[in-house]
Amino acid sequence: MKDRFDILLGVLLLSCAVAIVGLLAGSGSQASQRDLALDKALEQEIAYQAKVSFLERVYAPVIELRAQGQNESALLKLDELSRQYPAEAHGELLRGEILLQFGAKQKAIAHLARAVRMNGDYVDRHSPLSRRELIDPLLDRELVEMKQQADANPESSTVRAALKDLYYLQGRMAGGCE
Amino acid sequence: MRLVLRDPHTWLVMLAGGLLGLAGVMLALLGNPQNSGICVSCFLENSAGALGLHDNARMQYLRPELIGFVLGSTLAAVGFREFSSKGGSAPLPRLLSGVFLIVGCSVFIGCPIKLFLRLAAGDLTTLTGLLGLVGGVWLGLKGLAAGVDLGRAKKKPDGSGLWTPLLFVLLLLFLFIRPGFVLFSERGSAAEAAPILIALGIGLLLGAAAQRTRFCVTGGLRDLMIMGMRAPLFWGFIVFVLVAFAAGLATGTFNLGFYGQPGAHLDLLWSFFGMLLVGSVSVLIGGCPFRQLIKAGEGDADAGLVVIGMFLGAGLVQAWQIAGTAAGVPVYGKIAVVLGLAFILMNLLFFRERAAA
Repeated sequence: MKDRFDILLGVLLLSCAVAIVGLLAGSGSQASQRDLALDKALEQEIAYQAKVSFLERVYAPVIELRAQGQNESALLKLDELSRQYPAEAHGELLRGEILLQFGAKQKAIAHLARAVRMNGDYVDRHSPLSRRELIDPLLDRELVEMKQQADANPESSTVRAALKDLYYLQGRMAGGCE
Repeated sequence: MRLVLRDPHTWLVMLAGGLLGLAGVMLALLGNPQNSGICVSCFLENSAGALGLHDNARMQYLRPELIGFVLGSTLAAVGFREFSSKGGSAPLPRLLSGVFLIVGCSVFIGCPIKLFLRLAAGDLTTLTGLLGLVGGVWLGLKGLAAGVDLGRAKKKPDGSGLWTPLLFVLLLLFLFIRPGFVLFSERGSAAEAAPILIALGIGLLLGAAAQRTRFCVTGGLRDLMIMGMRAPLFWGFIVFVLVAFAAGLATGTFNLGFYGQPGAHLDLLWSFFGMLLVGSVSVLIGGCPFRQLIKAGEGDADAGLVVIGMFLGAGLVQAWQIAGTAAGVPVYGKIAVVLGLAFILMNLLFFRERAAA
C-alpha cells in the first residue's frame, strides 16, 4: 500500500471478498433458493424420477405379461413399444432378460450390452434401474463358456460378437471413469 | 546415473512421484472411480459438468483434488517466494492447446497420469496410448529442435498470474457452499468420490510437492529423450509407476489383461492418436495437463489460459460426444483428434523460426 488511494482500494477489495462469501453462503439457504428458482440438482432429480416412473408405466404391460408367464406375448409387446420409442434402452434390457430366460444367450447378451451402451444406469450401484445382480452372474457363467466356444469355433462371427459384448459388460461392471 | 542419484533434488522428485503413485491408488480405494484415483482430464470433465458446461448427468462433480492441485501449488510457491506473475506467450494457441489436450485425453479415457495408473494396474489396452504419448513427445521435441517456439513468457508486475488461483478459490467456495447452479451427480462415475476433505488434502499435498519438484509425466519422458538417465524427472516418473504398481498389487486391484478393464476401450488405434496429440501438445506448451495446473498455481498466466482451455474442452468433449467410452471412440471423437493433430502441425509450421537462407 503506497498511498491513501491504495488503502481505499484495499479496503474496498476486502469488502467485495467478504460480500461474495456472504452472498454465496446465503444463496444456499432455502428462502434464497425459492427466490432464485434455481436448483438445478433438484430439477435433474425430478426429471430422473419422472423418467423412471415413465419407464415403469410404459413397460408395465410387458412386466405383467412376463409375470403371467406369457414371454412370447411380452416380446410382441416389446416390438410394438420399440416402434414407438426406438431410442429407449429399457426395451432392449427387457428383451435381453426375456431372451435369457428362453436360453437364447447370444441374442440376450447382445440386447443387454446395447441397453448398457444406451444407458449406463443399468450397471450403476446407485440407480433404481440397476441390473448388476442380473449381469454379474451372467458374466461369471458365460465368459468362460463363450471363450471356450470361440476357441472351438474361431470362424463364428456370432460367438465373437457375443464375447465382445461380454467383455464390454465386464469393463462397465468394473467401473472406472466414463 | 550415480551423480543424479546423489542430488537431493532427485530424491525430492522421486518422493513426489511416489506420493503421486500412492495417492492414485489410494484415492480409488477411498471412493474415486477404479483406476481413476487421479486423472486430471476426468476431474476437469466432472468439474466442467458441475459448473453447467455440459449436461451429462453422470459426469458432474467439483473434484476437490483439482482445486487442491492448483491451490497447493500456489501455497508452496508463495511460501518459497517463487510466486511470480508471468505470461503473454501465444495466448490463443495456448487456449486452444488446452481444448485439444482434453480432446486427446478424453478419446483415450484419461490424462498421462491415468495412463500410467491404468498401466500399473495391469490394463494392457493402454500400451498403444503409451506408444502414442512417447511418439507425441518425440514429435514435439523434434519441433522444438527445428526452431518451433511459442515465444517466451514475460514477467508481469500486474498480478495477472493471480487470476487462476483466485478462480480456484471461488471453486473451493462452490464446493462447500454448493449454490443451486452447481451440480453434483447422484449416479455414474462422478458419484464415485473419496471423502471431500481427504481428497482436498491429498490434492493440496500433491500440488505443493509438484510445485517444488516440477513433476510432469511428459516432462519426464522429454527429459529422458534429451538427457537419458541423468534426468531427475525421469527418476520421479519411474518411482511413480513402481509405487502405483506395488500399491495395486498390495491392495488387490492389479488385473493384467486387455479385457474387462475399468474405464477402457479396445479402439487401440485411437488411443494411440489421442495420446499422440496429448504428448505433442504437452511438449509444445511446456507440460502435461497436471503440470499446467501447477504452473497456473504459481502465477503463470499462460498456463492459466491452458487451464481455461482445458475447462472449455472438458465441457465440449461431453456435450459434443467426443469423449471415448467403454464402447469405443465415437466418430466425433475421431474427427476432433484429427483436427487436433492438424492444429499441432499448423503450429509447428507457423511458430518455427527458420534460419535465414
